[in-house]
Amino acid sequence: MKITRRTLALGGSSLAAGAALSVPLATPALAQNEPIRIGWLAALTGPSSAPGVGFNRGVLFAAEAINAAGGVKGRRIEIITRDTQGDPTKAVNATQEMISQLRVHAIWGPTNSGESLAVTAIMARAKMPNIHPCVVDSLIDERRYPNAFRITPSNTQWDDAVRSYCLTRVKAKKVAVIGDTTGYGVSAVNASVAAFQRDKAEVVYKANIDATQPDVTPDMLRARNAGAEAIVFWSVSTGLIARLLNTRANMNWDVPFVGHPAMSSGEVGSLVERPSNWEKVYAIGYRSCSYDASGNLPPRTAELVQRLSGKVNLQDTLLWWVASAVDAVQLIAKAVEATNSTAKEAIIEYWNGLKNYPGYYGTYTYSPTQHNGYPTEEVVMSAANSAKNGAFALAPGY
Amino acid sequence: MLASIIASGLAVGAVYALIGITYNTMFATSRVMSFTAGQLGMLGGVFGSLFALRLGLPILPALVLTLACCALIGVVTEIVAVRPVLKSLDQHLYVLTTLAVALLIQHTTAMEWSTEPQPFPRVLDLGSGIWDEKYWLPVVVCILTILSLEYLYRYTLVGRAFVAIAEDNFAARALGLPERNLRIASYALAGAIGALAGFAGGQLLLAFFANGPLLNFYGFIPVALGGLGNNRGAVIGGFLLGLYQQAANFLVGGIFSSVAVFTLFIIVLLAAPQGMFGAQAVRRV
Amino acid sequence: MDAMTETAPPRTEAAARLAGPLTPLWPFLLLLAIGLAMPLTGNEYWGLIVTRMAIYWVLVAGLNLIVGYAGQLAIGYVALLTIGAYTTSVLAAGNVLPPLPAFAALGVAGLAGAVFGVVVGLPALRLRTFYFAMTTLGFATIVTQITLAWQDVTGGGIGIAGPMLPEPLDTTWGFLYFCLGFAALCTWLTANIARSRFGRALVAVRDAEVAAEASGIHKPKLLVLVFILAGALAAMAGGLFATLQTYITPDAFTFDLSLLFFIAVLIGGRGSILGPLLGTVILTLLPEIAAPLAAWSTFLYAALLLVIVLAMPGGIAALIDPRNRRKLPEHRVITPQPTALDALLGRREVPASLTLRGIVLSFGGVRAIDGVDLEVTPGQVHGLIGPNGSGKTTTLNVISGYYRPEAGSMAIGPAPLPAGEPQGRAGLRIARTFQTPRLIGEASVLENVMIGGTTDGRAGFAEALLALPRQRQEEREFEARARLALEAVGLAGLAEVRADRLQHSELRFMEIARTLMLRPAFLLLDEPAAGLSTEEIRRLGALIRSISRHGTGVLLVEHHADLIFDICDQVTVLNLGKVLAAGTPAEIRVHKEVVSAYLGA
Repeated sequence: MKITRRTLALGGSSLAAGAALSVPLATPALAQNEPIRIGWLAALTGPSSAPGVGFNRGVLFAAEAINAAGGVKGRRIEIITRDTQGDPTKAVNATQEMISQLRVHAIWGPTNSGESLAVTAIMARAKMPNIHPCVVDSLIDERRYPNAFRITPSNTQWDDAVRSYCLTRVKAKKVAVIGDTTGYGVSAVNASVAAFQRDKAEVVYKANIDATQPDVTPDMLRARNAGAEAIVFWSVSTGLIARLLNTRANMNWDVPFVGHPAMSSGEVGSLVERPSNWEKVYAIGYRSCSYDASGNLPPRTAELVQRLSGKVNLQDTLLWWVASAVDAVQLIAKAVEATNSTAKEAIIEYWNGLKNYPGYYGTYTYSPTQHNGYPTEEVVMSAANSAKNGAFALAPGY
Repeated sequence: MLASIIASGLAVGAVYALIGITYNTMFATSRVMSFTAGQLGMLGGVFGSLFALRLGLPILPALVLTLACCALIGVVTEIVAVRPVLKSLDQHLYVLTTLAVALLIQHTTAMEWSTEPQPFPRVLDLGSGIWDEKYWLPVVVCILTILSLEYLYRYTLVGRAFVAIAEDNFAARALGLPERNLRIASYALAGAIGALAGFAGGQLLLAFFANGPLLNFYGFIPVALGGLGNNRGAVIGGFLLGLYQQAANFLVGGIFSSVAVFTLFIIVLLAAPQGMFGAQAVRRV
Repeated sequence: MDAMTETAPPRTEAAARLAGPLTPLWPFLLLLAIGLAMPLTGNEYWGLIVTRMAIYWVLVAGLNLIVGYAGQLAIGYVALLTIGAYTTSVLAAGNVLPPLPAFAALGVAGLAGAVFGVVVGLPALRLRTFYFAMTTLGFATIVTQITLAWQDVTGGGIGIAGPMLPEPLDTTWGFLYFCLGFAALCTWLTANIARSRFGRALVAVRDAEVAAEASGIHKPKLLVLVFILAGALAAMAGGLFATLQTYITPDAFTFDLSLLFFIAVLIGGRGSILGPLLGTVILTLLPEIAAPLAAWSTFLYAALLLVIVLAMPGGIAALIDPRNRRKLPEHRVITPQPTALDALLGRREVPASLTLRGIVLSFGGVRAIDGVDLEVTPGQVHGLIGPNGSGKTTTLNVISGYYRPEAGSMAIGPAPLPAGEPQGRAGLRIARTFQTPRLIGEASVLENVMIGGTTDGRAGFAEALLALPRQRQEEREFEARARLALEAVGLAGLAEVRADRLQHSELRFMEIARTLMLRPAFLLLDEPAAGLSTEEIRRLGALIRSISRHGTGVLLVEHHADLIFDICDQVTVLNLGKVLAAGTPAEIRVHKEVVSAYLGA
């Protein structure tokens, strides 16, 4: 083989690259002054990024607040964000990067179910303490994933709240269940239908509508003709929500919509043709983020809103996104503080021992056999169009 | 129910037909099928929403600005993605360059505009129920467009020059027709037509970046059905597609309707690659 | 065979080429070495990235044959990845049948991929470029929708766990080694095809379809073979992808991923193995270099694609190809070597003549050929002349099988020549050149010439894939024969040069060399002297006559009257589709009607 300048250059640069990579990175410094690194797997851009943006505000706020108060025993919080765009492939890459390259101490996220399903096993293998806000039931398995904790209700808890509202407050005996054609929409609808049928209610119409379908009149007509008394809705697509609500108004039908919290997002407000189209829509909400008849939030949440004002915009997001992210960061910080260590086992053990931990978003209880920490009684239904600073009024009947 | 399916089928079919015409207009003077056709449609909706809602302009100036912006993008496409590869014998290059430009447009819109669908304003505010403006406006715009184009191609000098370039490039150039300027003009025209598609269909499709690839695909089917370069075929194909799609949505539901559309598309293409009204291939040897 | 000793430089190149399908070999080994060295870093993140590159490359290696070699723009190839991922996962999980061991599931996925690779690729046989690209996009959507809807089997939106490989492959490093090994194997397999007559045939179909047909290349069969291989590889890549991700959902198979594969081939450069490999490495690495890049990754891919296509259409491969750099000598002379021609053709007896009787062919309302009789006798040069539009090239096209005559018959001796079957002509030892040279610009002159002998290959696709002895033997023979042909026409020194760097006259002689690969019984030449200098025409004439004296029947369509009268034994004159006169050159030269219609005073 002829040795030419080009060969040398190519060979040399690749050797250099190899050498650079083999130098171990971030030699463990004196543990005491090391910042507490929290990995944040966020879907900040790409489809369905509104929750990610909301969570992000909470994350940054909480980190800044803790650091401003001197950190955790003198150690500052460092948030390392990776925008996964809702893509499981990017999520896997980013997770492994956080584990092996960036050596974070705990991970908050991902925010998207598809990503979460892909990274759960990887985090479990690395025993990485993980809190996430994803609702898919199978994500939490205390035996296989002892490192994973859920901060939000599970999909079953959501589904239970919606179903119970339909059956007991709306008193509907016939329901239509509608979702979109994404992975989440299809599985949520199926689970919901099965649960309604177990409760002996009649599901008169079931549909998965493509989020880009421009006209939903036939679907709504069929639901009405089948005698639906409530429409249960599972999708994050604000376009689809708006189209359904507008069509409902054009049909002069006043059936209530009950379901996914996305129905209360500000985007829907801008997409409905008339504000009145947004009436009688009940979206999942949380007692902590709901204001009572006099317009007051629960005291703890009110205090948070007070601290947020001027720093975090709540007008175009949901309070529970911000609040839950603040709680997540604080749960990690508190774990380090209480155990005086950033070791993975220590953090997990601390979380396993939490009983009625008073967060802003919820009151969490975890144990080695229960990693779904959000109490079901704190899940409520909200009136979707009643947003004020990202919080909602309780739906009628609460 | 049926009335609703027909109304929405014709409306969305009109949008697809207009995108098909966009494809044809770009093809006419360059023999290039451009991936940017659907993106122009998407931009029609996005710009319309940007000018009319976010910037608060009255509807007519918003429309004019939208057409102008998309025409400009059409011209940029011609300069960046089409002209450099026309000289090359390699037929495939234009697929790549126009694909690249389409992706750049789509991604920039997603990052800068929004990844959620944004509202589109009412244009004339006439009608309600199945006679609502969002149903009849695209159909009316489509018909007006095709009539105008027919007039352009048949009775005006510029239009006939377009046709000449399309029919026989060398002869047209030998006659002294300014081929390059005509091509730029036709790409600008195509941009405007795409913008019209998006603007007229904005209330149905909303201002959403993901409309780009959607319109690319569904706007291509009328071209495949009607024959490449055949605007009338594109209109008929577009309406048929729209009706078929809405009927499929209704009958088999959202997940399978795209399967149904695509299966039909494949079958028709394999049975008649030149479309229902298209012309046969030219001499190769 | 002594002719070889005059050509020293090609000799050493030949030795280097025969070293293997991957030349030069060191870049591949270097990349492999870097990959294998990953465990030394102890960093599982880099291990993951390198494993991902290897898995993507398994798919891209196959896709390279479709997009880079065959030129079919399959943009939606993620469909095959999805099929492979789900097939492997479903079989390993036991949702339909009892659970299969992971490797068995992977194998079955490969079979499924082979089948669906053909299904996805089939439209390419009927549709033009853009249409086919659209259908692949549609397929990608359909497959995703089906995985979403078929909840019982695929888990629907919730998805399904990826297969677990047995120990020790279930660790990061174990899996890395496995994927690197598999990727190396796929590199070798696809390179074997690329460097074989199948690879050359693919490129011929891509760039010079008409000439490919004339050389006997059967496009549908060839493409189907490649679709099978690429589909199988893509599906197995899908199974490995599912293992890497540990859990798959329909939304993991994005259009962005499809673009990554497609763009990797194109920025790598067509007709190369190393180029797309580097392209895959770069595109996988790019979003990881800087965190903000991850969000803009698709934008970057698209920008990169645009830049490459506009600035360096040859891609990375063109940058690193040493062949482009060497300067060609300025004043090159084409000197045919009669001894080489003797060695190549030898003395043969072509038993029967090629006859045409009463051929009629119309285009629309115009009769291009109106009752033409013609006989090409072996061992003779038969000239076909006439004014423009008289039907000369059309007659050649009818003989070659591109046009089907409405009436009349063609035969070689007693055996009728089937109409409208251009791919069959090479098998019947009928070769031709074209009015405008049909060449593969990006391939070397030698490879262009070797295409002519494709039908003589006996080794099958599988043999080429595994580089079995018969295949390698045939390759050596083809190469030797091609060098001999190039020497015979006088282009021996330009064998390794890219064909698009040749002058026009050299291309004409190259086309003749291509026909000589077949050792043709009949040679049809379509205006070979157009654009040649006087001296070159003289040498061309000598070459043509020499070829005919070796037993070949030559039909020469020409405008250069001097050449015709110099070397032809028989001449037929066409006018307005009819035979105006036929006879020896001496007779034709004084024929009154011929003189007035065509030759002039």
